[in-house]
Amino acid sequence: MSDLDRAIAQLRACRPIPEAQVREICHKARELLIEEGNVVTVKAPVTICGDIHGQFHDLMELFRVGGDVPDTNYLFMGKPYFHSTSEHQLISYNCIGDFVDRGFYSLESFLLLLCLKVRYPDRMTLIRGNHESRQITTVYGFYDECLRKYGSANVWRYCCEVFDYLALGAIVLGASTALEPTQQKGPSSSRTSTQEYIDSDIEIEILGSDNGVVSRIPRGKSKEAVAQNSSPSKSSSPATKPGPPGTAASGWSRGTTGSTSGAIFCVHGGLSPLVESIDKIRLLDRKQEVPHEGAMCDLLWSDPDEIDGWGLSPRGAGFLFGADIAKSFNHVNDLSMIARAHQLVMEGFKEMFDNNIVTVWSAPNYCYRCGNVAAILELAEDGMGESAHQRSNGDVNRSNGGMSEESARVLLAGPARRYRVFQAAPQDSRGMPAKKPQADYFL
Amino acid sequence: MSDLQRQFARAKLAGFPATAPVLFDEADEEETDHFDTGLGLGHAPAPDDDSSSASSASSTGTVIPSSDQTLFARPQGSPNKRTLNQVPWTTYFERELFLESTVDNITIIHHAYLTSPVGTAPLFVTHHGAGSSGLSFALLTAEIRKRLPSAGVLSLDARGHGSTTINPDPNILDLSLDTLSADFLVVIEKAKIQMGWDTLPPLILIGHSLGGAVITDVAKGGKLGSSILGYAVLDVVEGSAMDALQSMQTYLSTRPLGFPSLESGIEWHIRTRTIRNSLSARTSVPPLLVHNEMAGAKPWTWKTDLAGTQPFWEGWFNGLSKKFLEARGGKLLLLAGTDRLDTELTIGQMQGKYSLQVFPEAGHFVHEDLPEKTAMVIVDFYKRNDRSALVLPPKVSDLLRAGKKV
Repeated sequence: MSDLDRAIAQLRACRPIPEAQVREICHKARELLIEEGNVVTVKAPVTICGDIHGQFHDLMELFRVGGDVPDTNYLFMGKPYFHSTSEHQLISYNCIGDFVDRGFYSLESFLLLLCLKVRYPDRMTLIRGNHESRQITTVYGFYDECLRKYGSANVWRYCCEVFDYLALGAIVLGASTALEPTQQKGPSSSRTSTQEYIDSDIEIEILGSDNGVVSRIPRGKSKEAVAQNSSPSKSSSPATKPGPPGTAASGWSRGTTGSTSGAIFCVHGGLSPLVESIDKIRLLDRKQEVPHEGAMCDLLWSDPDEIDGWGLSPRGAGFLFGADIAKSFNHVNDLSMIARAHQLVMEGFKEMFDNNIVTVWSAPNYCYRCGNVAAILELAEDGMGESAHQRSNGDVNRSNGGMSEESARVLLAGPARRYRVFQAAPQDSRGMPAKKPQADYFL
Repeated sequence: MSDLQRQFARAKLAGFPATAPVLFDEADEEETDHFDTGLGLGHAPAPDDDSSSASSASSTGTVIPSSDQTLFARPQGSPNKRTLNQVPWTTYFERELFLESTVDNITIIHHAYLTSPVGTAPLFVTHHGAGSSGLSFALLTAEIRKRLPSAGVLSLDARGHGSTTINPDPNILDLSLDTLSADFLVVIEKAKIQMGWDTLPPLILIGHSLGGAVITDVAKGGKLGSSILGYAVLDVVEGSAMDALQSMQTYLSTRPLGFPSLESGIEWHIRTRTIRNSLSARTSVPPLLVHNEMAGAKPWTWKTDLAGTQPFWEGWFNGLSKKFLEARGGKLLLLAGTDRLDTELTIGQMQGKYSLQVFPEAGHFVHEDLPEKTAMVIVDFYKRNDRSALVLPPKVSDLLRAGKKV
């Protein structure tokens, strides 16, 4: 067993590793990350995860539900550790204050993901979230956690240096338009398949953590809908149309099946008015603290919203962008979809803008109190062969941009999407009393 | 500096003439380690930095004993060795307003401090917390105007607080949220008339504690229409405020009933760390106390009977989180601790509904403890929400209409 494997085993048991080893792993991680472009290319099959926020036991639950590394190819879209922030970024900090048992493990969560990245570089992709910054980690508790566990800020410093090297986005190529039969991924299981056959017409499948099918939405059959189900939803925009939870599958999203789908662009936050093409992202100098404005900031901070065009983000950084922006971006870049994290979704995931964008949230019962479920998104491999994917520069056979007339849209087939929804891990310490702030003068 | 960094820096700098390396400079790294908490902030001096005393030096209206040289010294060391002399409001505001209104035979003269905005500059309207006064925002005003010299600030004394008077004196002070919200609107309206403004300037509402509940209620009420660019709530959250209310009477009972002098009142606020900035306390504490001939050895007693306002407490904070999220305009929540969000605001924050700033090093009186950092956040907040300056990128549909390729 190598030192690295030992470190992984130790972290899986939620025990921190020695400072010298953290230093070594962070250096190795940086050597790997420095070789990655700003936008990493990832081949399907891949499982896409959103915010984790240092909920270590829920991260273990995620691996149980989604399959272990390296059996499953993972892509994490930021915020592996607790979070908290000015925007956003702040909330985990919240967990630190009230929910010591949770916030306690931001370090272990982040280091485990980092070790797995170093151990299986091709099976683990990490992209940067807005919390992966010195500023936010200082306020929200990660810094304090490092101080508490190691007696100095060195470990925090090593981690922050890694943040600066994380990629800003990823492109998933070669995702299939048909779902594969589910595999029982848990280590304990002997069965290999729970489903003999899957209708190739299924575009979206939602599975519970026990592998039970919650719902299936056929291609082109379902009406547009935004996330809405029976949970006490505080979803970010009002649900106006009925439909299966989390989905917005619509009639024109695809006619054909079985062909290679378009690429999926993964980013933590969203789009930027300064970035009209993926290639623009590749030109950024990403090795820096997340700036307060500009393209890099927007990619990590922006949110989709039911507006026309661009809007001011209430977060204080980044922008809001509407369906027209997202569709145009996908069209120009030959994308079938954008996958992003950054926003809490009570249902774990939420597709918007006629399936042009999906938000994936992977921290169940966020901060121990929000009552949300979490989700991960699985994309299967296209069985047609090697995923040598033809990508045009966006100018081929395009007329007026495709936005003026619905009927003129030329859209690539969307990948078949399997969402696994899961709840917070059962935890012994659940009864632990929350640390209450000192009664303060509060009038 | 690690080998990796060195290598990278060397490769990166190879193409440049031999100058001092800019990337990965250790000193720079060191500096970035001490980030302040807010997004978009520069570096702020320590809380006790008395940089704003510059403004008091420049004010001709300042009445300070000439022998008091220590006013301009750094207030370090034990509070007892510092001067605790009062700093008058004229140091910070241009004028005071007495705005009379009569409802149901009760005449109330609202007292407010004002520095007028110039031209199209915004007006920051502030509402203090229970038991505080309009001068709680004195230092913040100075700091805001350092960054936005043409901006105005209107800081009122709520009824039962500061120099606002009611005639005839009521037996029971009505401090319900509805009344306070109505007062807030009256003060803005009357100030507009008295100052001869044709229209209201663009408004940013700022409320601390109870005041946060008031301005949120006003923003949600919509009576000021599109004049409100945004609203900022300082250190109050429905969930944690409700929790704290249970222990509030206990807390209040630990306060001294009176003080032998104004200075000792100021000293008490600093010593107990209720207000952690002595410069601010020297302005904001005097209006909290009245001289009471009957009170014997400790004649300076509290102006507002906080314990007596208990019947209104729950009404102040009930529904605050929901109103905060639903009202129109930019939203800023500035907290002194990261553990103060309730579930509703935690979800709202993680969905990006508002901007959150946390100053863990401050006490409950965030704007008094850290006026400079608070002002920076608020001015950034204003600039972001300033509609006259806002230029968003064009919409796709407009581009297409103009015949452009997207």
